Amino acid sequence: MLGGLQPRQLLTQLLNFALVLSTAFMLWKGLSVATDSPSPIVVVLSGSMEPAFQRGDLLFLWNRGQNTQVGEIVVYKVKGKDIPIVHRVVRRYGGGDEPLQLLTKGDNNLADDTELYARGQDYLTRSTDIIGSVVGYVPFVGYVTILLSEHPWLKTVLLGLMGVMVVLQRE
Amino acid sequence: MAATKIAVYSIPDLKNNTDDALPNYLTSLKFKQSHFLTDVRLALGYSAVIIAAITFYVDYKLGWDKTKSWTFWAVLIYFTLNGALTFWIWDVEKGNVFAGEVDQPSVGRQSLSVASSVAKHTPIYNVKVECSNPEGETKFLEFSSPFTRWYDVNGFFVAKPFQQWLASEIPLIGQVDPKNKGGEAKAAASATENSEIKGSVQQDRYDTPNRLVANDAAPTSTRSRRGKKG
Repeated sequence: MLGGLQPRQLLTQLLNFALVLSTAFMLWKGLSVATDSPSPIVVVLSGSMEPAFQRGDLLFLWNRGQNTQVGEIVVYKVKGKDIPIVHRVVRRYGGGDEPLQLLTKGDNNLADDTELYARGQDYLTRSTDIIGSVVGYVPFVGYVTILLSEHPWLKTVLLGLMGVMVVLQRE
Repeated sequence: MAATKIAVYSIPDLKNNTDDALPNYLTSLKFKQSHFLTDVRLALGYSAVIIAAITFYVDYKLGWDKTKSWTFWAVLIYFTLNGALTFWIWDVEKGNVFAGEVDQPSVGRQSLSVASSVAKHTPIYNVKVECSNPEGETKFLEFSSPFTRWYDVNGFFVAKPFQQWLASEIPLIGQVDPKNKGGEAKAAASATENSEIKGSVQQDRYDTPNRLVANDAAPTSTRSRRGKKG
């Protein structure tokens, strides 16, 4: 099907495809730049913040304005661990001239988060550990990603379905 | 170009296939095609894509913190290029399907650009033509025709009526390709060739009684008639 095309037509077709991918990626990066957060949209993975957030909720983050207050819900990433955690700020130390430090706790957890931090770490440093504060959310729509990561065989099924569709549609 | 069958009810198919046939015809008439418009479009588009690819790679390698300020500029340039590309497609190309010039004793040196468009859900091919000569005189032409003029019932492109149509509507092409210009006059005179072209309503009126008769009288004859056609 592609064999009959002129080189410029082929390049134009490829360009259309590449533009779809690159625009999606650059929109994401643009959102990152605007919110100053490496990952401005995250999915809640655990029930530790119930009843505020359920598993699968989609959260929108904002990372400008570093003066985080007690009561704000933040997403942080502990060094050496990949998964970001969404919890509420319950204590703050420092601020102003000193670096701001925070202690967090899940609404649904009995204890605060010192157990979850890196070995020897008793608090989070605002400027380096926090990805952003939660400013908005959409319930449940992120659940697909949880399903996919918890049941890896679903990814295979989904890929297979996509492959079958490509073959059947011929476009 | 191999004859490809297209879906006759898909207007994008009709248009794209016709758009492809148009430069083929004109280059066969010794028009020299200029790819300037397409080349600028490709340059704009691929620069944007390359910037996105580099951003992806650097971000993957170094992480967010080290690339933050850099990413800001990449995003800015990417969307500027993307905007320029959109502007180029909508305001400069404007549906252009052919740009080029011809240099022949019969017409001298003239340049020609052809743009095409279709309205939604309307199987009519609209053409806008711009002809200009070195003296700076420019002529604009606009005309249109239903696709049925150059597609047969099965969705095959028929080159002859298409070429005759262009040669008779655009004087410059008529001068370069007088054979097709004359052909159009003849085709219009003979009613048989035209009835096939003119749209499906008329064809139905022709076909239905025949089919009914054939089915009533002898179904085998219908089959043999179809066999000859296909």
